[in-house]
Formats: sequence, C-alpha cells, structure tokens
Amino acid sequence: MPVPKWLVVARNEYRIHTSRIRRIRTYFPHLVTGLLAVYVAFIAPSFARLFIDDFLAFILSQVALAMVQIILFLIFIYFIIIPITQTLREVQTEQLEIFLAAPIKPSDVLLGEFMGQMPFYAIFVTIIAGFFTAVLNPLGLDMLQIVIIIGIFVVTILSAFWIGNVIAAILRAKFGKTARGRDIGKALALIMALPLVALVYGIQFGGIFEVLSDPGASGNIKAFLSLLPSSWGAEVIVGFASNPGNIGAVGFETLTRVGGLVVFFIAVLFLGTKAANRAYSLEPTTFTVSRAKPDGAFYKTVKYLGGGGSFGTLLVSVFKDYSRRLENLSKIAYIVGLIVMMNIFIVGPRLSEQYELGLILPLLMIQFMFPILAVFVAGEVTLRGKEALFIYRKTPSGVGRFIKARLIQGWLTVVPIAAAVTVLSTSLSPQTTFISLLTNTGLGALIAAGNVAIALGLFLLIPAFSEKSVRFMLNVLIVIFVSIESFVIPLFGLMRVLPNLDTVARLLYVLLLQTALGWLVGIVFLFLGSKNLNRIE
Amino acid sequence: MKVVIRTDKLSKYYGKGGEIKAVDKLDLEVYEGETFGLLGPNGAGKTTTVRLLNCIIKPTGGTATVNGFDILKKETEVKRVTGLLAESPGLYEKLSAKEFLEFIGALYDVPNDILPERIDDLLKLFELYDRRDDLLEGYSRGMKQKVLIAAALIHDPPILFLDEPTSMLDPRAALMVKDLIKKLANSAGKTIFICSHILPIVEEICDRIGIINQGKLIAIGTVDEIVAQTRTRTLEEAFIAITGGVEEKELLAWREHKGAGA
Repeated sequence: MPVPKWLVVARNEYRIHTSRIRRIRTYFPHLVTGLLAVYVAFIAPSFARLFIDDFLAFILSQVALAMVQIILFLIFIYFIIIPITQTLREVQTEQLEIFLAAPIKPSDVLLGEFMGQMPFYAIFVTIIAGFFTAVLNPLGLDMLQIVIIIGIFVVTILSAFWIGNVIAAILRAKFGKTARGRDIGKALALIMALPLVALVYGIQFGGIFEVLSDPGASGNIKAFLSLLPSSWGAEVIVGFASNPGNIGAVGFETLTRVGGLVVFFIAVLFLGTKAANRAYSLEPTTFTVSRAKPDGAFYKTVKYLGGGGSFGTLLVSVFKDYSRRLENLSKIAYIVGLIVMMNIFIVGPRLSEQYELGLILPLLMIQFMFPILAVFVAGEVTLRGKEALFIYRKTPSGVGRFIKARLIQGWLTVVPIAAAVTVLSTSLSPQTTFISLLTNTGLGALIAAGNVAIALGLFLLIPAFSEKSVRFMLNVLIVIFVSIESFVIPLFGLMRVLPNLDTVARLLYVLLLQTALGWLVGIVFLFLGSKNLNRIE
Repeated sequence: MKVVIRTDKLSKYYGKGGEIKAVDKLDLEVYEGETFGLLGPNGAGKTTTVRLLNCIIKPTGGTATVNGFDILKKETEVKRVTGLLAESPGLYEKLSAKEFLEFIGALYDVPNDILPERIDDLLKLFELYDRRDDLLEGYSRGMKQKVLIAAALIHDPPILFLDEPTSMLDPRAALMVKDLIKKLANSAGKTIFICSHILPIVEEICDRIGIINQGKLIAIGTVDEIVAQTRTRTLEEAFIAITGGVEEKELLAWREHKGAGA
C-alpha cells in the first residue's frame, strides 16, 4: 500500500530541516526528547522556583487574566508570523513545479509541509507548556487540569502555526513568480514585525501593568481580548489557578473555552486545506513590468552633486539600484519605526524626569540605532554578489569611483534620515532650545555619516555576500561594537581627566569625541576596504 | 500510428480580455514512440505548452489528451504517465541526490522494493553514484541537471517532457543525454517531447519538429520537410525565416553614431 502523500512531503520537509545534522538525524528525536524531559522535569521547575512567590501573587491578582491573555495573544501572533517571515525572506516557487507535475493534491502538500515542521513546533510547545506547568504546579493543580493546560498550549500554538503556514504558502504563490513580487515579500517580512515590536515595547515600557490595574481600563481590554481565540485558553488557565484541584468549579467555562479552541483549530485546518489550491499554483499573477521613469528632480540633483559627468551618472545608477529595491526601503522604514517607538515608549517618558539631561538625552539614546541604519544601507554593497563588484574592478579607476559613489549614496540616504529623527526626538524635550536643536542635529548627522564610512569600509574589508552569512553578522556586531566603544572610551576618559565637568557638557564632549573617533575608524576601514576590493576573488 | 499527445485548439491567454496569447489554438499530434521537438524563440509559448500538457496550469480554451487522458478531467492519470524535466526546475538543495530521488519516487508511488535499486542504477548511469550522499547545494549546474533528468525518469513513464534537457550540460554529458533520449525512444518505446534552443541536437534526435511563435504553431514536420517548406538550406535558416531575425546590415548600425569610436 502506497505511503500517504502528505507523509512523503512531511518526511521530505523533515529531512530538509535536519540536513545540517544529517549525521545524527537518527538519534536527533531521542536526543531532543531527552533534553526536553530534563527541561520539563528539572530545569523549568528550578527556574520557576526563582520567582514562584511573585508569580503566584500575580496569577491570583486582578491583572492576571488580561496579562495571560496578552501573553497568549503575543505567542499566537508570533507563531503566525514566524512561517510567514521565513517564507517571505526567501520566496521560492521553483519547487512548486515538482509538486504540480506530480500526482499529489495541493492539500496534501500543504499538510505535509506543516507536518514535516511539526517536530520543531513541538519543541516550542513543550518549552512553553513546560514552563507554565512548572509555575502553576505549586498551586496544587490536579492531573486533569495540567493535561488541559498543556492541551491549550498545543492547540493554540498549532492553530497559529497552521494559519501562518497557509498564509505563507498563499503569499509565496502570490509573490514568488516575479522579481518584483519577491522584493515585496522581503520588504514585508521585515515590516510586519514592527507591530509586534510595538506591542512588546508597550508591555515593557508603556505602563500596561498600570493600565490593567485599573478595573475600568482592564475590563475593556479583557472584553476585547476575549474575542480572540488565543484568549480562550487564558481564561481556563486563570480559572484553574483560582480553583486548583477543583475543575468542577470552572467546568462550564472549561468546556466552552476548550471546546471553542478545538472547534477553531478544526475550522482553520479545514479552511486551510480548502485554500491550498490557491497556494500551489504557477499561474502568473501579474504581467505588469516595472518600468523606469525619466529622471526627475531628485536624480538630476544627485547627478549634479556627483559633478554632472560620468561620475554623476555612476552615482545616480548606484542610487537607483539601491532605492528601487523595496527590501532596502523597508529596512530604512523598520529602523525609523524602531526609533519612533523608542521615542514614544522610552525617551519621551524620561524627558520630564531627566530635566538636566533633556537637552541631550534624545540624541544620546537614538544615536545607537544609527550604526544599524548604516549597516542596512552601506552593508548592501557586497550583498549582490562578487560579480557586481567585478564590474567596477574591470573598469578604469572603477574601484575608487565605486567606493566614492557608494559612500555619497550612503550619506545622502542615511544623513537626512538621522538628522530628521534627531530633530523629531530633540523636539520632544521641553528643554530644547534652537541652539541645542542645531547642535544635536549636526552631531547626529555627523555620527551617522561616520557610521556609514565604518559600515562601507568594513563590508569591503570583510565582504558578506549573504545576509545569512556569519560574516554579515560579524560585521553588524563590529559596527555596533565600534559605535559603543567610541562612546564609552571618551565617556570614561573624560570622567577621569575632567571629573568636575558638568554632565551635559561632558556628554556633549563625549559625542564630539565619538564623532571624531567614528570618522577616524571609518577612514581606516575605507582605506583597508578599498585595498581588499582589489583582492577579492 | 497511435497518437499519445493530441491538443485540440489548446489555448492559454493572460491579462485583461486575454490580450496576451501565450498559447493560441494549438492543434498538435505526437505519436507513440516518437521524439518530437518544439522549437521557438524566447516567450514563444513552449514552456506554457509543456505546463498545460502536464496539468501544471489550466488552459483558458480547448483541451488536450495525454496517453488518452483528458488534461482537464484526468489530471492525476496524466501526471502518472508523464515525466517532466522543467525549464527552471527547483531542487531541494538541502537534500542529497539519493534523498531527492527517494522523495520524487515516493511522490510518483514507485514501489519500495524497486525504488532503491532504480535510484542506484540511475545515479550510476549519470555518474553521480559516488556523490549520492552529497547535498545538492554542492553540485554543479550540470550535475543538478542530471539529477533532474533522473527524477523525470524515476517512475519510468511512457511519455517524457524535456524542457531544454542539455542546456546546462558539458559536451560529454550532453552527448550521454542525447544517446539516452535516442535509446529511450528507440529501445524502450518512450514518447519524448523536447523543447530546446539547441538546433543541432533537435535536428539530430527528433523525428519531427514543430515551430511555435507568439503562441501559434507555424510549422510542423520533419526537418527536411520544414527546410523544404521555407526554401532554405538548414534548420537554422528555416527557423530564422519562420520566426524572424536581425538583418545583417543592422548589426553595426550602433557604431555610426557620433563618438562611438572612442
């Protein structure tokens, strides 16, 4: 009897995901099961014991239900987003042809791809459910209550993963067939994480605990959250915590909420398989070809800034190639989004508390985002592969002109953004004066320009041809490290040399020295990077 | 002779109002045991035709039968009797050649008592046996192409669709594939449908060829018949005469502009 097709696909999916550990693939499940057993039996309870008193006070408090609802909601959304972002980051439709040419139903492919990843999802489920069981256990829950809690986590997380998988498969079919679509996919993959980050910032810094302590506000939030399937399990968990060993006290709630969750899971499973035909299709989705428009005022200005001649043309070409990728623009939008959130949740609330530092605090905080922005913009230099770099190597004086063009393009992209966000952040402070605004903006722009030089030089010195490569991560860490060190060294140096200096003045000097150090390192990296570009093979 | 592939006004239109005619009312017959070559410039409709005949996409008009099975009504049966080497196929780079062929074999329900031996035989045939456990990401493009041809053969289908089968192969491997196609047609009685740009290969191995341009079949017959129809000397000349090409006098026009000699 032939093996069910979904099982064939699932086995294949599992093999793909474990290809790096092929040598231990046979033992891998036993190894993971053993480690998880140790975690559930020893590590999670030991970890839970560290804060069990606080947790027990919390779980029996007024904010517990809404908080558990929020936590489960975050887990639910997170596990929906994981498969979507993974797929969008690297949209591949080539394998679709294999499935479409073979005698297999799309629903079997979808189910198989999901089931093949199931063992890895099970690890997540065990970690989360194991933790919650460990912290709830001291309340004296009975076995049935513990089993139901584990079941809630299993069904909630699997529903989320399944929804994420179905959406990912549909988006793959939608975006994967054209270069533009794949670019849109990569852009979306990054941007879609922002709302989740906002929610986490809100919980961490936004005073959500205080809001939930207020019965009125808490009631509204709970009422809203209770509409979401992720919340149904939370109501049962908190109900069990209030009635340990007495499931009958919350029998009706348990039956309706857990039943609702199971019905929800079956429904999404059914609807997902129905949507599979749309997810596995090679029918073209668009025939619109992206066309270049004649250069407008912006590119004419860029060309003028580049001297108007052949270098101006080169600069405009570099600019176009960068800015026409939505992926690049989404990275900028992502960083700007993070800076805005930092201002809303972290910088803003502290400005009134830090009267003396209000003049400089915004720049002090947000400038640590500039290196990442610089890496996103200037680090792109090697991501298009060696061949793109060899074009410049082949042309007369190509390397020097290329680096100059990329540096100017990086500055023209990063510096205005850094200046704009510095103006916005600084404006939030009631202590801001026109002079402090100008000083902060100028310093912000100079620091960001230095970061661009560092990132560009470093990526030429240690070329990373893929965002997944170790070199890429290493370069990101180096740029951040240089940025932090160029702040910390002058800070401690000045504390030692000029201990009596006023705090604001000292920080201003630190930022000035940081700027100078950043530029110095940037020039050195650019010099070494240009030498290395000639050697790349 | 038995007809194994028959298209009846097979059409695939795209865009609003169907203004893009990828395949336009295609009428074609391919006989059992025949090696048929479909030629055409880029975007002519070759790959779309292959995808329609393999039930990968659905026609907007007309229909076709493959081995007697209607592509609209008997999708699964059609898929079982065909093997496909796609133009830009996807491989699972994180699988080894052996694992990939095991996967494809299972998808096509090749019995477990046959599959391992067949995989070994195919890998030996394509000189990949020693590297059967290497991940495909480490293979050259030619080696990957060999794996894909092996995958198309894994369930030993009576009809094979090969879209550019030798385009990525070195001359030695291309010769082997060419000989394999001949053997499959002549000794194993397979029907082979080839799409290719490489005219000498098509000329050498195909019994009949069809030339498609802008979705329409504009010539069909043996190489000699097509050459005779177009009053040319070679298939290449016939192809250019039918599909159009750049006139010789235009080739250096770009140099006549001011400053081009710099």
